[in-house]
Amino acid sequence: MKTRWAVAAALILLCLGAALVAGCAREEAEESRVIKIGVAGPMQFVHGQHHWLGAEMAAEEINAAGGIKVGDEYYLVELVKIDTNELLSVEDATNAVERALAQDNIDLLVGTIRTEAAVAIQELMMDNEKIFITCGASLKQMADKVGQDYERYKYWFRVTPLNGELLARASLILLQYVGQVMKEDLGLEAPKVAVVCEEAAAGDALAAAAQQVIPSFGMELVGIWRPSPQATDMTAELTAIRGAGAQIIYTYLSSAAGVTYAKQWGELQIPAASVGINVESQAMGFMEATDNYGDFECSLNTYALVEITEKTVDWYNRFTERAGEFPTYNAGTYDAINIYREAVERAGTLETDAVIAELEQTRHTSAAGVQVFDENHDVIWGPGYATAVGTQWQNGELKCVWPYNWEGITYPGTVRYQIPPWVAEALQ
Amino acid sequence: MIRVWLLRLYRDFKGDILALPGRTLACLAVLALFIAPLFIRDTYILRIITLTAVYAVFAASWDLLSGYVGQLNLGHALFFGVAAYTSAMLNLHLGLPPVLTIPLGALAAVMAGLVVGIPCLRLKGQYLSLATLAFPIILKGLVYLFKEYTGGELGISGISRLAGSRLVECYIALALGAVLCFLIWKITDSNLGLIFHAIREDEITARASGINTTAYKLLAFCLSGLFAGIAGGFFAHYMRLAGPFTLDVLLSFQAIIWTIFGGITTIYGSVAGVIILFPLMEILRAFPEIRMLLFAAVIVIVLRFMPEGVVPWFLDRVEKECPRCKERNAFTRTRCRVCRVSLSEREVRARTTTRA
Amino acid sequence: MLANILVTTLVNGAAYAMLAVGFSLIFGVGRIINLAHTAYYMLAGYSIFTLVRVAGLAYVPAMALSILLVTVVAVLCYKLLIDPMREHETTVLIITIALALVFQELMLKYFGGHFRSVPGVAEGSLSILGVQVTRQQAITCAVLAVILAAVWLLLHRTRFGLAVRATAQDMEAANLMGMDVSRIATLTAAVSAALSAAAGALVAPLNILEPHMWLNPLTIILAIIVLGGMGSIKGSIYGAAIIALSESLVIFLIPQGSFLKGAFSLLIMIIVLLIRPEGLFGVALEGER
Repeated sequence: MKTRWAVAAALILLCLGAALVAGCAREEAEESRVIKIGVAGPMQFVHGQHHWLGAEMAAEEINAAGGIKVGDEYYLVELVKIDTNELLSVEDATNAVERALAQDNIDLLVGTIRTEAAVAIQELMMDNEKIFITCGASLKQMADKVGQDYERYKYWFRVTPLNGELLARASLILLQYVGQVMKEDLGLEAPKVAVVCEEAAAGDALAAAAQQVIPSFGMELVGIWRPSPQATDMTAELTAIRGAGAQIIYTYLSSAAGVTYAKQWGELQIPAASVGINVESQAMGFMEATDNYGDFECSLNTYALVEITEKTVDWYNRFTERAGEFPTYNAGTYDAINIYREAVERAGTLETDAVIAELEQTRHTSAAGVQVFDENHDVIWGPGYATAVGTQWQNGELKCVWPYNWEGITYPGTVRYQIPPWVAEALQ
Repeated sequence: MIRVWLLRLYRDFKGDILALPGRTLACLAVLALFIAPLFIRDTYILRIITLTAVYAVFAASWDLLSGYVGQLNLGHALFFGVAAYTSAMLNLHLGLPPVLTIPLGALAAVMAGLVVGIPCLRLKGQYLSLATLAFPIILKGLVYLFKEYTGGELGISGISRLAGSRLVECYIALALGAVLCFLIWKITDSNLGLIFHAIREDEITARASGINTTAYKLLAFCLSGLFAGIAGGFFAHYMRLAGPFTLDVLLSFQAIIWTIFGGITTIYGSVAGVIILFPLMEILRAFPEIRMLLFAAVIVIVLRFMPEGVVPWFLDRVEKECPRCKERNAFTRTRCRVCRVSLSEREVRARTTTRA
Repeated sequence: MLANILVTTLVNGAAYAMLAVGFSLIFGVGRIINLAHTAYYMLAGYSIFTLVRVAGLAYVPAMALSILLVTVVAVLCYKLLIDPMREHETTVLIITIALALVFQELMLKYFGGHFRSVPGVAEGSLSILGVQVTRQQAITCAVLAVILAAVWLLLHRTRFGLAVRATAQDMEAANLMGMDVSRIATLTAAVSAALSAAAGALVAPLNILEPHMWLNPLTIILAIIVLGGMGSIKGSIYGAAIIALSESLVIFLIPQGSFLKGAFSLLIMIIVLLIRPEGLFGVALEGER
């Protein structure tokens, strides 16, 4: 009988203890003169790590300089790390952000990568009327919402990457350039193009655009393949592409499938140059991940070690040194926080509407180009703005190959595109 | 008149709830859940309470089909997702208010229950489980295929909110959760529940006893779909988004994990499973690096030592069954509260042996 | 085109068959749905990665060591966590999926969310029937065939195999005939895990390693098992061939719908089940209560 009472007593004590802990947790002292910035991303993965590193660099620099000047006072930046786990669970991601909103009182949110999660978080941030600067998700519809319902969605901005439609246009111009090189070097009349677009919202825009535009480039479209982003094997697709006689493969691969694809492309010696968007090829570990078979893979990129602006080379090197990784578009959190800082300093207040008005006036020179927002708060693409760059792995080194005389732009340090040797051999 | 009624209520309350620690605790927990939001201004905690209530219905509806009727459904997210999409589309395109879209979404989930249930009637045991696993994955394929209507990966967003504030939404969820879970429990406690038990234990015998097992199994699919559907529709309006993630394999497994953790074939077990595990996952945010690891480890270890689930294990500790009349008693009693027989096993055994 | 489809089917089908046979074995003998089965496949991949890239071993010894290591881990898990729970069918389901999650998180913790690759035995590619396949694929295919043949011999030409098949057919009768059912089940669990690990070890150089790589093959082999008939080895092999074929057909005939290959395979599974509720080669479980 005694043990039973002991069990009961232990249970009651446990409940009391839990209540006490819960009570204590709420007693957090409010600090004044601090701007809290939430950095949301899947922190266990490369994407989230870049979100965090970019933000951390920005925060350290701002705080070292005394903080953000609001009117006459200086505010320090405090980062709140939000592990959204968004690649696995959308609901989990929204819970994490709501937690940061309610318990950490964040003033600004930057980050997010997976489209589905980004959309859910966008709704949540708009409900809470807090500024949300996306760095990672490329869905165009997120910006369209600002145009459709300005009052509700005005708190949303995007810094990186370009939206899906612009990514399509930029990467198709990259394709055109590669096609041009192939025509010149190999004497091809009308290169045959196979499209490999992963089944995702951003992939749709690319597939549709490719279908329309490729013939107008003087190229021939031989087929479109739409693998799942979770595909673990691409040999079937690649074999089919070889069978179709393609000479160029235009890709849109944003996930693990990109590594599988590039590895098997090189290993099977598919006689077609590969160009387009392959997000994984932007990572430093790409060569190792593909067992060096990914060499000569070419992809659109946000940053490269060339003088896009006077800030690029310095920043690129600092980031690489710190992270042990090349910066990807997720590291745009660095620019996002700096753009926010400038807007707040110009506004002279932290009042949201005033900051939004100043954000809309942004003209910020970052490592990726000159950042200006359009009327839907989306990043503007084009010569003189953010252009995006094309990068190619050449004998194990990531080189910038584009813009190459595009609209008169060639960033200093850019080299010419190299046709993979086995492709040149097969097509000559 | 009122006095008599109140007295009877008090008597029932004392006899049926206060007498048993398990029920007292459950009552206290529900009461606490209803009172707590009044003092909470933190929208995050309100959100967790709301989602807990929604998932409690979802898990209980799984228990109804899989625990009681024994139709182990590995694709329960199908009902959730169908209702979420239906509610979202009706709201967005026809402008119907949530009061209408949620029941209509649930109705669509009932239809989904029929669509899945009819072919699956031919299947038994593990074949049925694995076939049900396939349905949400196939539907997800269709969602991507017809993206003009479903929004593809993006899902359907911009649907209207349930209520103006998180607090009101929280209370709607709590009320809905409490009523629906109680209803499901009542169903399993009725004659219908008895038939479900019979079908699970021995379908051939049940059929031989004149029970139309086919009809009852279909009914179970529909009922389960109905409740899961209400949860799904509510979820869509709460998140203001219906996306392919509502059809995830992991969501289906989640319902199973909650229910089995709490105790299958009990309904209250599945509800308790959600109330324990869902907030636990949030508390574990304090250790973001090893959060999932801890969560999975807790499940493995707890189930290793409490294979029946947490609630039955706990009830076995704080309550015991009268050896004669099978009425349950609090662990503090030495004699059954109904038939006054001794609850001590040793004493009972001693008496039966002397009698023999 | 036809040659393409056949070769692709062969390469993918062989790997699927190996995973499915292992899964089927332990289901047949122990009536256990082991959702952690493909997690062993993942563990083997990471183990090879560590041994080759970090410890600097050659591929073949690394493979042997990995299979051994994973089998030991699997038997320990079986003995400590699964075997005592066998009475509670649904609890086993959850314990095994939680186990898979534990392995996934451990890999995520130690190797990070990066994509890794393992170098194979042979480099480059060769041409079969006019279809280009990597040498590694050809070797994998050959080795898989040898292993499958060995499993068949083990089951049909040894006393252990006889015991396994007898237990799978009727556990109680086997027990009454004086067989040590528990020991047979443990041995079967070991063989099953070894098969999964071997599949992982052989496929690792073809694919990319990442901590979530177990989930996708899991749904595919579940479809294969059901399609072929649960517990039937022959059924698993036929099931693997059918699913691999249907996947290749989708990719080659409707390239725009490549992403539908998973959904399409499952649809085929459901259609087969509607015609034959116990799968192609399954035993009707009507008499079993």
